[in-house]
Amino acid sequence: MEKNFNKIVVVIPAYNEEKNIEKVINEVKPLVNELVIVDDGSSDKTFELAKKQGVTVLRHLINRGQGAALQTGDEYALNNQADIVVHFDADGQFLSSEIKEIILPIQNGEADAVFGSRFLGKKSEIPWFKEKIIIPLAGLVNKILINISLTDPQNGFRALSRKALEKITIENDGMAHCSEILYKVSKNKLTIKEVPITVIYHDFGQGIFRGNGRGTGGLRIIKDLFLARLMK
Amino acid sequence: MIQQIIALVIILFFISRLFWQRKNKKIGGNEFIFWLIFWFLAASLIIFLKKVDSFVAALGFSGKGIDVLFYLSVVVLFYLVFKLGLKMEKTEKDITKIVRKISLDDNEGKN
Repeated sequence: MEKNFNKIVVVIPAYNEEKNIEKVINEVKPLVNELVIVDDGSSDKTFELAKKQGVTVLRHLINRGQGAALQTGDEYALNNQADIVVHFDADGQFLSSEIKEIILPIQNGEADAVFGSRFLGKKSEIPWFKEKIIIPLAGLVNKILINISLTDPQNGFRALSRKALEKITIENDGMAHCSEILYKVSKNKLTIKEVPITVIYHDFGQGIFRGNGRGTGGLRIIKDLFLARLMK
Repeated sequence: MIQQIIALVIILFFISRLFWQRKNKKIGGNEFIFWLIFWFLAASLIIFLKKVDSFVAALGFSGKGIDVLFYLSVVVLFYLVFKLGLKMEKTEKDITKIVRKISLDDNEGKN
């Protein structure tokens, strides 16, 4: 049964993305009802450049991490009657043309949460180390800690229905939010679908020890996941 | 004997600091009492080290009392570091909540 989903909001967390932000905004803005940029305490011109594009820009006074920025965007979207929220990336690694594909299962009433996957047909040039080592390891950690198997659990391109959004609060400020969202989707018995997407790699965004901004780096993510369990 | 006196002097110094901090309202009542008990306990263990020795021997440890106290202190330290880590994590989360509220409120103010 097709439901009526009127308002599609894309949330893009951005931390020091002055090089890419305008391009991403121009690509995404025409495709959706509202585009929300969450500037996560950037020290460059990200905030000013985004503001000039006439989109909604929320600003974290200090850097709090990608998970925190996504949650800020989600809360804004909920308060502003969004029906579907899409999480997208500011560094141009996802294709804006695929937004319509990722929201389709929600529009068709097939799923509450849709996750993009690099391993379902579409060709992404994934660096060898990432494809063979980091992503399988991340998958294993997810399997052990939250008991979910997706083909691409660390993918940041996803769409959530309003129902899912109301049930999921991202508490992990850092990159551990990917696993956290999966965990909460399954805990709340929301329906899941994976769709093939393309990822364009510019460089290594995520190393084992550290990445860009707060709460990044593979080991830090695992630590955050453990801590989140302890703090419950 | 000399070592015990040195240890007691150090503990006395910490206790005096504790009273000074309390007087200047730098620590709360609960925290003051916790540390006071902690230092008094440490002092009494040092004063009755011989008793600790025999107690530890009775428990079946081969080491001296002071060694066992040392191991125990490492355990306590680990625990305190762990507690501190959890507390910091909570503080970080609270900071995020404040930052988020400000960002959402700021945006509302503009509309």
